Amino acid sequence: MSGFAFDPCDKCEQMMQPYLDRVLTDAEVREAEVHLDGCEYCRKRYRFEVEFRTFVRQAVAEPMPPELKEKLRSLRTPL
Amino acid sequence: MSDASESSARQLATDARDRVRFEEEALDLSDQVYGVARRLVPSREEAEDLVQETYARAFRSWRSFQPGTNLRAWLFRILTNLNIDRGRKVQRTPDLQPLEESDYFLYNKLEESGADGTPDQRRVVERLSQNDAVTALADLPHDFRDVVLLVDLADFTYSDAAQILDIPIGTVMSRLHRGRRMLKGALATSAADES
Repeated sequence: MSGFAFDPCDKCEQMMQPYLDRVLTDAEVREAEVHLDGCEYCRKRYRFEVEFRTFVRQAVAEPMPPELKEKLRSLRTPL
Repeated sequence: MSDASESSARQLATDARDRVRFEEEALDLSDQVYGVARRLVPSREEAEDLVQETYARAFRSWRSFQPGTNLRAWLFRILTNLNIDRGRKVQRTPDLQPLEESDYFLYNKLEESGADGTPDQRRVVERLSQNDAVTALADLPHDFRDVVLLVDLADFTYSDAAQILDIPIGTVMSRLHRGRRMLKGALATSAADES
């Protein structure tokens, strides 16, 4: 995009994080969705972002060691 | 039994019941607390210590919890405060050079790098490695990591994260934005190195 021309994909890109965080207004959500409906370029990138968030979450997840759970139980106030 | 001692006995029983309920509810959240603690500190041992300290303090100060308010946020506030108190090293403010990468850039990079030889464009995300994600998160400056962990891992709202960390909501948003971009920047670099 050259000059100051309005690029709807730029706008859509700026809306991606707040869109996925669900902090856009209803009007903004509609604006993003109307654009996404007609734009495969942005749609692919939004889809990737959703997968990316899931990927990070799963990649860094580590289950709590069961012994720790027991230790925490033992910290409770005795009745 | 006199009326006075009967009412104080009843009070004790109510207290004990509230405390047990509080402790059980707090324990139900321990997997989530551990999940975040594990990424706040470098080792599993430190994470275990931090979680134990968190629960010891929570159980000790249960009376300061207001029933009906957000117990999860209350626990995470103890966790993050303890982590700061543990004397994590004061970091230089990370150099705030502008990140020119856009929000689409990680996808664009991965798509580019996969263009030759990999006909399968279906799941671009599969080109990322789990270890790289762990390292990239650990390498984030801690102010940014705290926010990313609370919002992206523990699913807190911006406003809960602001209360937990005792910072303005605008700061949560800017750190989240920067933190996510730094994370992607690091992953884009490691993905490029590996391809």
